[in-house]
Parts: sequence; structure tokens; C-alpha cells
Amino acid sequence: MTNPNLAERVQLKFYATDHVPAMDLIPVFHKWITDKVIDDELMIDVADYSHVDKGPGVVLIGHASDYYYDLGEGRPGLKYSRKRGGNADATLNVADAFKRALTACVRLQKESGLSLAFSAQEALFSIQDRLHAPNDDATFDAFKATLEPIAKKALGDVTLTREGDARLGLTIRIRAQGAGSMEDAAARL
Amino acid sequence: MTGPTWKDRLSDAMPEHLAREIDVFEGQIELKKAGKLDDKIFAETRLRRGAYGQRYDNGMRNDGTGQQPLVFPTALTKGPDTMWDAPGMQRIKNPFGKVTAEQMDVMSDLADEYSDSILHVTTRQDIQLHFVHIEDCPDMHRRLAATGITTREACGNSVRNVTACEFSGVCSTEGFDVTPYADAVTQYFLGHPDVQDFGRKFKIAFSGCHDEPCGATTFHDLGAIAEVRDGKRGFRVVVGGGLGAVPVKAKVLSEFCEERELLPLAQAVCRVFARLGEKQSRARARIKFLVQKVGLEEFKKLVAEERSKLRDDPRWTAFLSDLSATDETPIRPGAPLATGDAAFQKWAETNLRPQSQDGYYVATIKMPLGDFTSTQGRVLADLAREYTGDTIRLTIEQNVALRWLSGADAYAFYQRLVDNGMGDAGARTITDIAACPGTDTCKLGISASRGLAGELRKRLKVIEDDLPPEVRALRIKASGCFNSCSQHHAADIGFLGVSRNVGGRKVPHFNVIVGGSFQKNAGEYGLVAGAVPSKAVPKAVEMITQKYTAEREGDESFHDFIERVGKGAIRKLLKPIAKAPAYEDDPSFYSDWRDPREYTIGDLGIGECAGEIVPFVEFGLQAAEQELYEAQELHEKKESAPAAGKAFAAMVTAAKALVRFLDVQCRDDADDVIAQFRTHLFDTKVFFDPYAKGKFANYLLKLHESRSFTNADDEIAHRTLDEAQLFIEAAHACYQRITEASADAAE
Repeated sequence: MTNPNLAERVQLKFYATDHVPAMDLIPVFHKWITDKVIDDELMIDVADYSHVDKGPGVVLIGHASDYYYDLGEGRPGLKYSRKRGGNADATLNVADAFKRALTACVRLQKESGLSLAFSAQEALFSIQDRLHAPNDDATFDAFKATLEPIAKKALGDVTLTREGDARLGLTIRIRAQGAGSMEDAAARL
Repeated sequence: MTGPTWKDRLSDAMPEHLAREIDVFEGQIELKKAGKLDDKIFAETRLRRGAYGQRYDNGMRNDGTGQQPLVFPTALTKGPDTMWDAPGMQRIKNPFGKVTAEQMDVMSDLADEYSDSILHVTTRQDIQLHFVHIEDCPDMHRRLAATGITTREACGNSVRNVTACEFSGVCSTEGFDVTPYADAVTQYFLGHPDVQDFGRKFKIAFSGCHDEPCGATTFHDLGAIAEVRDGKRGFRVVVGGGLGAVPVKAKVLSEFCEERELLPLAQAVCRVFARLGEKQSRARARIKFLVQKVGLEEFKKLVAEERSKLRDDPRWTAFLSDLSATDETPIRPGAPLATGDAAFQKWAETNLRPQSQDGYYVATIKMPLGDFTSTQGRVLADLAREYTGDTIRLTIEQNVALRWLSGADAYAFYQRLVDNGMGDAGARTITDIAACPGTDTCKLGISASRGLAGELRKRLKVIEDDLPPEVRALRIKASGCFNSCSQHHAADIGFLGVSRNVGGRKVPHFNVIVGGSFQKNAGEYGLVAGAVPSKAVPKAVEMITQKYTAEREGDESFHDFIERVGKGAIRKLLKPIAKAPAYEDDPSFYSDWRDPREYTIGDLGIGECAGEIVPFVEFGLQAAEQELYEAQELHEKKESAPAAGKAFAAMVTAAKALVRFLDVQCRDDADDVIAQFRTHLFDTKVFFDPYAKGKFANYLLKLHESRSFTNADDEIAHRTLDEAQLFIEAAHACYQRITEASADAAE
């Protein structure tokens, strides 16, 4: 019996409304490492995949989690990815992912010279753990109760829809009814 | 509360022996964590499972302004100076590049879960996943094992992935399909006791014919080229080839080895290598050095003696009874090529190749810098299931090929590629650039080969339709260091990352290598025409290709053009862009491609002391480069011995510059320079490269001792020129290290 609440590898992507060439993120992410902008995480390197169509773009590689300026689906956005060291409590782990992703979005919006903006109306949540969280309806039903309250707290009224093929880890589209700012969403967590 | 594990989930799906091996590896991880396993032993253990280290795994990161410690959660190590928690790379062996749809799905899943969703195709038909954690490896291995993949001996001093032409079995120029033979060699040597005690790695390649580039057998430790004589199948077997710091073409071990003798012959070679190959000095431990040391004839004799002692093994020939075991079966009927729009026609021209079987094509899917996403991986698996069956092959040019595509399906297939960002035309052309990881992730990288390749690709894509056909057909390969993983020696235009000191700051450069050829199994290796700053490389490509177009005679190939005009002409051509501008005039030259960090160590002081000394030593190093250039000119005129002698003199000049830089008195004669060099730079290890150690110094010392340059033939001259080039590069690097240390001390 699978249990998605045992999985720690969660990912959360917020989409950009005004986007920029992925390569523009390379110096920004290097600066984040040098200046220890994310002060409670060890950030290590920057990986450039801007040459790959609909790929991971530019990735700020950390020990416990990565931050992508992601080009997946052909829709640029900020994707947070927890790799290890997550909270054993799934609710806290998901809340942490929201907090970190939203905070990173706010930081990028404030980066001078980037002109990057994100929307709090839509997000893509996934669990990269096919053992504990396959992409099927039963797993979705089992996980909804964990995800929905946190998504609501951050984004207001939301609808959750599972999507993607069965080979993926659990993948959930989050759509929010309101049009709050990323700052507001981050502050609510 | 604990959940299911991959070990439990896959217990019935994994072959028992693979499951057991992975359990043992997992046990070794636990032993290492408990402090019960030595660093070196664990390092070799994980390497033999394909789990590599990556840049910064020593816990230090260059920020461009200085070194920043990376404080990982534990102080545990997974090898000497290699932090346990540092991201690493997992290499996945795919013998002869073959991948099934199921395997592609699983590798894509692994990329999603344990890496950064990118699968990277290497120049040896492997897949690499980067930024993985060592503790995730056993589960990754289990999931691979459940699809029949083992990562065993993906690295380490053993037989590496056996490569073969991706057109094997469907090619109109091949003697016969080498796939079952490559498969037999893979299975036979995997874990074989005779290949466990090598001093270095051992690479085997198969090619179906002599003239095409696909097998690249000339630069392999052992190469086998299919031939049919008197109706009998066999192989021309070559041995002792390799690229790396000093490229050597493999030599013919057997003009015709019958198929039943292939495995025993290969085994005898391995046993000789294990017994007599260098074990202490890694720099000279590849089989090419053994062949050079004992001479080809003596090596052949040793192999023949070893072969005569081998006891018959039924596995040598068992596979011959069913050579069709590796055959692929098309799932759609063959048909003439479909018509499509102009973009399809353009793609078909470069990316589709007719098979020897009527109505079928091999589709090459061009992967930029060898990268594709997990999403694209799943699309490839779907396309294989829908159109071709399990016929995916990874190529040594870092692409993916799907075979047995019916001509009737080609347009629909292409449209699916386009929809998923894989419809790029221009496979095997100037925009299809191979690059090793370089400074992106490789611990040995000197310059950003991927950054350069990405930039060149971007610029060339814009103008590719306007390029003359002869320029479009050129191959470019970029390596981040002398280890040559992009196989740049065999490119029309190759690049090799080096660094230079300009005004007390480091500037990333690339040596420009011209005159190589990928045809005839990488039949010609190029030589250095000069170094240019990294940021000047696009201009260099533009200048070289324009010169080729303007001065080409008839249908002259680029290789023939370079032979005719000489590398000196290219050097002269590049001279105006060979010097980096002063930092104050253009600081962009002091960073590498797609990396904003200053390449030099930013807090390096430019003190008065360094300011006075720099011109002096740099003058000496420049003089050495000038001599090497003259040596290259002599070599082009086929004056082998004078060329080698001049190359040796260039090394002496570089050594003298360093000796005097250390304020050591020495005369101008080579004997005294080398005596002082040995005392002050070799014995003290000051000259030692952090990774290659005394390798480059030994080039000088051995040449001085052997005087081999005095009667050099073309091959020795070529080798001496290569060694001189590397020695001078090492002299530059040594000088940089000394100045940095001085600056640190002054601080």
C-alpha cells in the first residue's frame, strides 16, 4: 500500500507572468550562493540547461533542495524541489515547500534588472517518489487532505486536479480563485 | 511508520546476481558510514558502480572572488578529499548504446527523482545523471537492474562500456552486424577476474567498416573492425589507441582475427595488460604506454604466448550459435519516405539515414550538448513503442538514434519530435557540437567546454542556412581539459581548455586544434594551431571557416585544406585575436562562457613583486610557445626529427623560464636547465599538476634521457609535439600556482 505522506521529494512550481531569458538567472543564482541569500540552506552550484527545449532551465543546486528557473511545459516558472532532509510530517514538509517557493519568487521579483514576475493563481505540485506516490487517483485522494489546506492558506480558494500520465510521480495542478500577490501568499504561511 | 522499499518492491524483478551485488554495495555504504572502510577502497568500490565525484566535492567552491567552504551536514568522506554529502554523478552503462523503451522510462524516472531531470548522453554511449547523492545509488541501481541494466564497471580500472557504431546491423557499408559480438564481449568481461587488476581503464570499440567514423576504433584500447574474408567473418583488431593528454592511434594487432578467436584474443590482451601494465603511475597506465614501451612486435608476441596458455572456455564461441539473438524486429512495414513540409525535408536530409533494409531509416535525434529531459525520454520511449520497437541507440556524438523507422511514418514521427522540442535538424553538422562536462561538473575541467559549445551552437544555429555546405559539414568538439573526453582530436575543429595568465589574472582559453578527421574511424588527429581566449573562440570559428570557404580548392575537404595551407597559416590567422585585452579594457574576457564568476581568483593581489616578475617569466613561456610553433611548421614540412628536436627545445625554454622565475641560477644548456628543473620543480613537486601529478614533467625528463627526438619519425614527432604542448601548458599552470601562493603569502 502506497502512502504519499511518507514521501519527502516534493516539488512546487509557480509560473512566471513576465519572463526573461533563462541565462539571465545564471548570475543571479551564483550571487545567491556567494551572498548566502538562502541562509538556512547549503547552496552549492548553478547548472545551466538553457539550451534544452522545455527543460529545467537554470538550476540553483543545493544540498537539501534545488531551485529551478524552469522552462518545463514551455511555461517558465520558479520550481522548488526538496531532495532530502524534509520534515517527516508531510503537512510541515508541504508547507515548507510553499514557503520556500514563494519566498524565492518574491526574491526574484525584487532582483534588480530581471523584470520577473510570478502569478499566485496557478501552481504545479508533484511528488518525485514513484514508490510512495504514484500518479493515480487513489494516491491523489490520499494526499488531497494534506495539500489542500496549505494551498488554501497560501493562495485562497483553490481547486486541485491530478494530471499527467501514470509514469509520473503524483502530479497535481493547483488553481486559485483569487489574484493575490506572491508577497501576500508568502506572508500567509 | 515505514513504507515499502524498492528492494522489496523489485525483489522478483531483479536478476538474483545483480540484486546480491547491489545489496553488497549498500552494505559497503553502511560500513563506510560506520568508519569501517578505508577512503581509497570505498572510492574504487563506488567508482566500479559508476558513482563518480563532481566538482566542489572537496568541500570548497570558487566564487570568483575566493574559495568558499561548503559546509555539508557530515564530515564523512566517500573517498580521499571527497565529501560524503557532495553531489556526485551516476554513470549508467548502456552496452553499444542500446536502450529499450522500458529502460528509457526508468532512466527518466531516476533523472526526475534523484537528479535534475536531465539525462546526459556521453561520448561513450553512456547516460550520466548529475547531482545525485551517494545514498540514493543503491535504489537507483535496483531500479536499473529490474530492467536489465547494471552499472557495474561503468567506471574504475576495468573494461568500460563497450561501444559500437549505432548503425550496426542496418548499415550499407558494414561487413556485418557487430552487435552480437559487442554484446558477447560485454557479457564475457563483466566482472571477469582477468579484468579486475588493471592499472587504468580499458575501452573497447566495434566498428562495422573501415571508412565511416561511427566506431572510432583508432582511439580505443582495443578496437575491432568487421571484415569478411573468403566468406568467413572476422575482425581487424587494433590495440593501444587512446586520446587523453597524448593521443595515440591504435596499431594493428591482427589483420584478420576470425570470429571464434575474438574473445580469446581480447582476453589474452587483457591478461598481458593486467600483468605488465603500469600500476604505480596512473599517467602512464593505459595500454597505449605498454604497447609503446615494449614495442608492437613484442606486444604481439606476448599476446600470442598468453593466448596459447589460455584454457578453452565455451563462452568464447557459445554466442556464435545464435548471432540473431541481438537482432531487432521492425514493428511496422517498410515503405518509401513520406513527403512533408520544408522543415521536414531539411531535417530528413541530415537526420534520416536509409538503412540497408529497403523502406527503413535510422532517425538521429539531435540532443544539444548531449542533454535531454526526462519528459523527452518518455516521449522517446513512446515513439519507440509506437514506431520502431526497442531500437533506441545512444551515439558517441551524444545523440539518440531510433532505428527501423518506416519511411511512411517518418513525417508523423518528425512532427512528434518537433512537438517535444527534439526536431532540430543538422545532425552530424557544424551545429551538432560534442562537449564534455568541463568546468560545469567535472573535477578536472579547466575551461567551460559546455558553455562554449552552447554558445557556438546558439550562434551557428542563427546562420546555419547561410553557411556554405562544406562549412555546414564540419564537426566541432570541445573538451574542458587535456583528458579529451569530447574526442576533440578527431574533430575538424577541436577545442581544448587551458588557462593563461594575463597581467596577473587568469584568463580562460582554448587551444584550437585543426586537421583532425572523424572519418575512417577517427583516422586523423589534429594538432594545436594556437590558443585563443575563450571569449574569442566564436570569432576564431568564423575566421577559420571563412578562410576555408575563400581558399578551398575544388572539393577539398577541411582536413586536406589544413594539410595544404598548414597549421601555421591558421596560427597566423588567429594571431590578432590570440591576446586577451587588459582587464580594465574588457573584463568579460576574464570570465568563462555562461559563468559570470571571474575566472581568476578575485582576491589575488597584483603586488609589486609579482608585477616585476610576471613579464620576465611570461616572456620565457611565450618564447617556448614560439619555438613550439616553429616545431609544428617543421612537422608540417615532414621534417620529423628537426620538428621533434625543436619541440624538445621549446620544453627546455619553458623549464628555464620557471627555473629562473624561482631565482635559481642556471646556464642555457639543456642539461643544466633540466638538472635544475629536476631539483627545484620536480623533486619538490612544485611543477606537479594537482591531478596528473608529475606526468607532464616526466615528458621532459624522459625525452632528455631517451633523446628519442634525435631520430624521430613522423609518429614520434607528432607525439613529441603533443607532449611539448602539454608541458608548456603545465608550465603556465605551475607559474599561476606559484604566483597565487605568493599572493596568498603576501596577504
